[in-house]
Amino acid sequence: MCEANVYLSREGLEELLMEGVDRIIPGDDDNIFLENVFGERRLVKARIKEMELVRHRIVLEEIKEAAVRPHLELWLEPDTDHGHFHPGEEARMKLFQGFNMRAHEAASMEGLEAFVRINGQLRELALHKHHDAMEIELGQELEGLAQIYVHYKGESELYATAVMEVGHHHHRGLQPLGLPLEIVPLDYSHARLGENYGIQVLKDGQPLAGAEVRATFNGTQSRDYPHHLKTDGEGKCRLFLTARGNYLFSVIHDNTTSTFTLIKSF
Amino acid sequence: MCKNMPPLELAIQFHGHICPGLLMGVRAAEFAQKYLDVSPDQDEELLAVVETNSCGVDAIQSILGCTFGKGNLIFRDYGKSVYTIASRDKDRAVRIAQKYQAQPHPDNVRYRELSRQGTLTEEEAAEKENLLASIFERIMTTPFEELFNWQEADFAIPEKAQIYPTVQCSICGEGVMEPRAIMNGQLYVCPTCT
Repeated sequence: MCEANVYLSREGLEELLMEGVDRIIPGDDDNIFLENVFGERRLVKARIKEMELVRHRIVLEEIKEAAVRPHLELWLEPDTDHGHFHPGEEARMKLFQGFNMRAHEAASMEGLEAFVRINGQLRELALHKHHDAMEIELGQELEGLAQIYVHYKGESELYATAVMEVGHHHHRGLQPLGLPLEIVPLDYSHARLGENYGIQVLKDGQPLAGAEVRATFNGTQSRDYPHHLKTDGEGKCRLFLTARGNYLFSVIHDNTTSTFTLIKSF
Repeated sequence: MCKNMPPLELAIQFHGHICPGLLMGVRAAEFAQKYLDVSPDQDEELLAVVETNSCGVDAIQSILGCTFGKGNLIFRDYGKSVYTIASRDKDRAVRIAQKYQAQPHPDNVRYRELSRQGTLTEEEAAEKENLLASIFERIMTTPFEELFNWQEADFAIPEKAQIYPTVQCSICGEGVMEPRAIMNGQLYVCPTCT
């Protein structure tokens, strides 16, 4: 007999997790894969605490997931299903508030300001409430890459940014908007599923090293952001894109929250 | 959609969802295209012989344009993830075979378990989504030679698919491709009425 019983240690108490285990494979992200002689399989987030092989006993220690601490943030999404507008078309953005791309009911937030910068020109935009979101009309005259941002100052300061393509093939380099806290796409023209996508976090125009960047996408099943990234010495980090919808990157620093919506264009 | 879709997106749109089998097919299809130095098929310039009818075949159809309807997708029911892609113009073919994994990655084992499970809790749905993301990244970034074997295939490329006349079944009255009909005296009978 060489199989063992596996116990899970949770807050000092041990409970039997699986009997007759004959295969244990440590996997990625602190996962441990267990398989027993009856063909049962489990994947648990834990580390091996103790192995008593003479007594056929293995104790795992549970690794607790960080508690989800939702915070309020703003984000922008285009009012189109293929990620860009055409010249002459009414270009419209939606502004949501919530967490992890799960919108709360749109409350009227006094003091919201919206701006667009296109072809070097910055102008203010009007916001109005429409069903579950605030809407921003960009008009029909735009053509090029529009950098849109929304600002709110309350108990904390919130920024939401997005880059919207009006017309095709506007793959010019983008300049940062110059916000106090800003997520800048490293390469606007190359956001593809199945590839890495890079962003840079700037604090007062300077790279912010060691910042936690959360990333999520439309329709995620996770309550918390599914991705937690950390910026390197140049304030940069990368994410491998595995979901079809738009992505949202979010960073918090000094009571300021800033988001960037990566809009996939087809 | 008014831009050219990347191959991966084409495959997902065609298949309807993202899954490990489809992604393996995407790797095979993209490799075949590069290896043979060919464009996606328009009118039977390419031919695919597939030895499975699982998810990966949808990547072959959507990315390479070898489709059931055009007749340049030949299915051999061997239950093997093996794809032979041939080019008429280049007069050559490549046989791509998925490597056998004696010990599949634990993520894949757990993902399959959750996929088989009918109803998922909120936590299990999130777990499945995270597993798929890990598997997705692993499949798309693992060197091709770790996933597949391939070799130039000695392959006699068949003639292009033929178009046959349609005749009327004397029993049900429906049209049937002539070579599939059976003659009963002077009358045609379709396979469903025989």
